[in-house]
Amino acid sequence: MASSSNATIYDKVVRITHAYLGPAANRFIARQVKNHLHKRPGDLSPADLLSLIDWIRVAVSLLTEDSEVVERYIAELQKLAHSYGRQPGKN
Amino acid sequence: METVMPKLDKIINRPLSYERRTESEALFNSMGDGAITTDEFGKITRVNPAAQQILGYKESELIDAWLPKKIIALSFDGNIINLIDRPITKTFLTGKPISAKMYYRRKDGERVPVAVSASPIMLNGKPLGGIEVFRDITLEQEVDRMKSEFISLASHQLRTPLSAIKTYTHMLAEGYMGTLNAAQKKSLNTIVTASNRMNELISTLLNITRIESGTIEMTPKMVHVGAVINEVLPELLIMAEEKRITVTLEVSNTIRNRIRTDPLIVKEVITNLVSNAIKYTPKEGAVEIMVKPRANEILVEVRDSGWGIPAYAQDQIFSKFFRGQNIVKRETNGTGLGLYLVKGLIDVLGGKIWFTSQEAVGTSFFFSLPRSKRPSPAKK
Repeated sequence: MASSSNATIYDKVVRITHAYLGPAANRFIARQVKNHLHKRPGDLSPADLLSLIDWIRVAVSLLTEDSEVVERYIAELQKLAHSYGRQPGKN
Repeated sequence: METVMPKLDKIINRPLSYERRTESEALFNSMGDGAITTDEFGKITRVNPAAQQILGYKESELIDAWLPKKIIALSFDGNIINLIDRPITKTFLTGKPISAKMYYRRKDGERVPVAVSASPIMLNGKPLGGIEVFRDITLEQEVDRMKSEFISLASHQLRTPLSAIKTYTHMLAEGYMGTLNAAQKKSLNTIVTASNRMNELISTLLNITRIESGTIEMTPKMVHVGAVINEVLPELLIMAEEKRITVTLEVSNTIRNRIRTDPLIVKEVITNLVSNAIKYTPKEGAVEIMVKPRANEILVEVRDSGWGIPAYAQDQIFSKFFRGQNIVKRETNGTGLGLYLVKGLIDVLGGKIWFTSQEAVGTSFFFSLPRSKRPSPAKK
């Protein structure tokens, strides 16, 4: 999962997720985008990030009891959202 | 007026909101089904008395516990269900309400069979947590088991006199008891057709009870799928000739069409699908059977130019006793068990079945048989 300046938002979300979910990251994020945001991965936009993070939080929280890990993962995603000018409550 | 309205609104809404909360609380606590809610971290936030009774835990033992760890879910074969396959997780992965049947492990270690439904709890489009509603299905399972036993016993009992009827009608038809006149032959043919139908129905019922009770026996052999289909085709062609329907089989003699599977079950599947296709296709129509080898599986398609399955009925087509309204009007014979049985048999073979259909155009049923995957155990 090499870093690239041309990486899409989706790629960046998958890259962060890869550290937590490993090879399942791409499929997991693709399903979250498709099922909850009703979009194709390539159409993911900055405006979708906070909503996507909400869904990821609940889904991942049911896969691990370790809420610290979940919070760390969510914080990384929120940092990414913040880099696009998105903050909770200002979606 | 502008300054008064917001205040009035607050006054009016306050007791209403309180009432609704109280109503919701009463509803949650008086439900006959168990209900558990979680927060966005999967931690239990509320438990109703029915859930406490089913699980044998006190409310205080469940609140704040992580649901997947505290309430262990097991499949009917006794294995712990993966977190990713639990309804509460699936509902957040798919965004849809999820229902399933499984065992929950009670506090005392006993297993209780439950039917579970899980949904996300949403507020303004944001997921706040989840809710699981479940009911104890011990009694339902017992009734199902008794019903299956009864059908199995009744079917066996019916088969014995039926085989005597078949033997004697065969002897009559073959002239062992004297020559028959035209009217007698016609009557005898009606008896043969009716007893054959009854025999098929008994076989279907017996197979269904075997699938549902998990007692169906598999005898896998290395077979050529085309050869297996060819063995049942002559019987089906007789049925097709009556309606001047053409039946074609497209299969190559390649080694890639060989597979390790149970040929008797494949025959049952093909017989059901092709006879359905013939039954539900108007006179002079066409039925095509195509066998397509793929890397990890063999795909079989049964395509007809029949009346098709109406869109509203398509999601019920594999349900027990289901028959489409457009079909019932045209074809009164039928039990609605054929496709239910086929689905069960394909599951036993570890394959998949699906279809595409358009009303007044036709239907294609597809089923796949895996090359290497071991057939799955029968569903309970």
